[in-house]
Amino acid sequence: MAELFLFEKQTQQNLKKDRMAAKPATTSTTYSPIDPIHKTRPPIFSNSDVDWLRPDSRSFHQCRPAFFRTGAVNSAAGSAYAEFGNTKVIVSVFGPRESKKAMMYSDIGRLNCNVSYTTFATPVRGQGSDHKEFSSMLHKALEGAIILETFPKTTVDVFALVLESGGSDLPVVISCASVALADAGIMMYDLVASVSVSCLGKNLLIDPVSEEESSQDGSLMIACMPSRYEVTQLTVTGEWSTPNFNEAMQLCLDASAKLGKIMRSCLKEAASDVQE
Amino acid sequence: MEYVSPEGLRLDGRRPTEMRQLRAEIGAVAKADGSAVFEMGNTKVIAAVYGPREVQNWSQQMSDQALVRCEYSMANFSTGDRMRKPKGDRRSTEISLVIRQTMEACILTHLLPRSQIDIFVQVLQADGGTRSACINAATLALADAGIPMRDLVTSCSSGCLNRTPLLDLNYVEDSAGGPDVTVGILPTLDKVTLLQMDAKLPTDAFEDVMQLAIEGCKAIANYIKEVLQENTKQLECRRGL
Amino acid sequence: MVGLSEGEKEFIKGGISQDLRADGRKRYTYRPIYIETGVIPQANGSARVRLGSTDVIASVKAELGKPSPMQPDKGKVAIFVDCSPTAEPIFEGRGGEELSAELSGALQHCLLGAKSGSGPGIDLSSLVVVEGKICWDLYVDGLVISSDGNLLDALGAAIKAALSNTGIPRVHVAVNAADEQPEVDISDEEFLQFDTSGVPVIVTLTKVGKHYIVDATSEEESQMSSAVSISVNRRGHICGMIKRGGQGLDPSVILDMTSVANFVSRQLIEKLDSEIAAAEADEDES
Repeated sequence: MAELFLFEKQTQQNLKKDRMAAKPATTSTTYSPIDPIHKTRPPIFSNSDVDWLRPDSRSFHQCRPAFFRTGAVNSAAGSAYAEFGNTKVIVSVFGPRESKKAMMYSDIGRLNCNVSYTTFATPVRGQGSDHKEFSSMLHKALEGAIILETFPKTTVDVFALVLESGGSDLPVVISCASVALADAGIMMYDLVASVSVSCLGKNLLIDPVSEEESSQDGSLMIACMPSRYEVTQLTVTGEWSTPNFNEAMQLCLDASAKLGKIMRSCLKEAASDVQE
Repeated sequence: MEYVSPEGLRLDGRRPTEMRQLRAEIGAVAKADGSAVFEMGNTKVIAAVYGPREVQNWSQQMSDQALVRCEYSMANFSTGDRMRKPKGDRRSTEISLVIRQTMEACILTHLLPRSQIDIFVQVLQADGGTRSACINAATLALADAGIPMRDLVTSCSSGCLNRTPLLDLNYVEDSAGGPDVTVGILPTLDKVTLLQMDAKLPTDAFEDVMQLAIEGCKAIANYIKEVLQENTKQLECRRGL
Repeated sequence: MVGLSEGEKEFIKGGISQDLRADGRKRYTYRPIYIETGVIPQANGSARVRLGSTDVIASVKAELGKPSPMQPDKGKVAIFVDCSPTAEPIFEGRGGEELSAELSGALQHCLLGAKSGSGPGIDLSSLVVVEGKICWDLYVDGLVISSDGNLLDALGAAIKAALSNTGIPRVHVAVNAADEQPEVDISDEEFLQFDTSGVPVIVTLTKVGKHYIVDATSEEESQMSSAVSISVNRRGHICGMIKRGGQGLDPSVILDMTSVANFVSRQLIEKLDSEIAAAEADEDES
């Protein structure tokens, strides 16, 4: 265990170094779903809580800086590392490989997803929350985007590892997994970008961190294919009135369109690196 | 503890040789080929039969007889204290095996070669005698599915507490630690197909206890026959015969 | 497993596009719902719901437990679903676990609300006996006995009925030193009823072809491209949503679905209320 830990720490550090080096080259990695020009529109939280700051001093509708990098795991067919603030995940994709013999014949490919937490992902050791559900959610979010017909009789494995849980884990895992799938050369209709919104009192907070998630009154997560403008997965908890719900959904869709651009630029960068 | 009062009454007010209220209903699961609910007092089980159908696992196929499979499962809410056991614990596996062997002995498996019959029993409420109730429910479900059988199988348990033979033990009597004899018979052929006992019992007392259980089985057999006949009459009616 | 021929598939799709389904229903019509309460005497509350040939049982058991240190003023509710192999032979052994986990997760999403505990469903603060020390833990167990599509809506309805059937024993707390674990005395006679008017109903809209339908049978479900389960409460607020099935949906379709769900839910809530009341009256009589 100790060795593994060290190894992971090193890769993380290496990646961090890479990022430092890469940072000046890319344009701003911070993105905001709302155009700065239209900032004059009335805020939705009118009365109280206006001057309340988020733990990482972002504004309510501002996402954390997003960072993607492909090729984090050498042995995998494709892999990606994503870092959104404190949330750090690695997703590796294996396959397509032959489906297990016990499985029935299928003229479309299978997708097998697994989300796991490292023991040190959470402040209290070994308390990675309900990731059993995450695996099936990841599966549902991705299956609509992958062209399964292109690899019949075979299985693609997607293994996601949450190195550090810093809130909005599932959306980060979904976005990162779609970059990893693209890196593995799996045919997809589009990338899947995922963003969540938390509702605290009257305020909508995009891309919540752990502290915000633990005290949220409601949450909405959308995984969508930005270019096709289609939603592949959508989960809502808590009580939402229809206008509130519409607003949150629009917010998520706008943010995921922007996130999709960042993911695309990361892939383009990786491709141009190879060409050089 | 006193399980039989001086007046000769048991904890739930029954006489020593009295059985609990029986209730049976055929066709509880619409999609199954045969199904039945069987209640003995507070014990309530559902059985569903799928088959005869193609053998799912090719390597298990037998060219001269049918494959009979059985799974026994308990609902989380079936016991007094809520249990959260993983499926397939040892007790369920054992009971699945007992039910499978008992039912296999009465199904004319040689008439259905290269096919598979699945029996699923689900305990909704457990109050002693689930084994017997499951076998009775499975018999009804098999009959409802129209699977050829040598005879009906019926089962009943009996025990001996305070030196009195008792018929059809409930949960409290079952967990008293006394002997518990579960008997399964083929009523028309008058043969015993299942006999299980735990704890110890003198040989001469055993005969009485076993005789009592057999009487119980016969009473259940009569009830099951009535239910089946009633069901057949209704089917006739629906067909307009 | 549903095995359908090409002709049957076309028939189902064609029927849905013409607003006349295989069993004569319209797109937004439910099958007849039958509710029976108090089916499991050992539980604090239970109900059996039949929706066509879909048959589910829900039971509620209350146990005394300790509130979590994060939320000392709230009780706990857990929902588990089990798929009996009687419903579908493929549920044998571990075969039903995947679906069970999916249904449990979806029900938790749709009925329990967000992490802070506010929101729809059960008022968790009513489950507290002594703040920070003792609370009621509600265990909600669902069991699928027979499945013919639309399990989630049926389970949602069964849980709603089981909760309104639930009686929580009144608890007397012996007053003693503040730092000790207080002694409690559970009454056998006095029971408290739940207010279940806030518990939402779940409406699953299954998209087949261009249209979507409510209360799909398993044949219809086999033809779906995607399905969205929306839980709606009496006030018409959305209390949870989860999507199944592969294909992506246009956001405008989702918004349209929510308004349809809102409309359908009003009828469903009314229907459930009257059925639950009738079932309770039946139970009292017998």
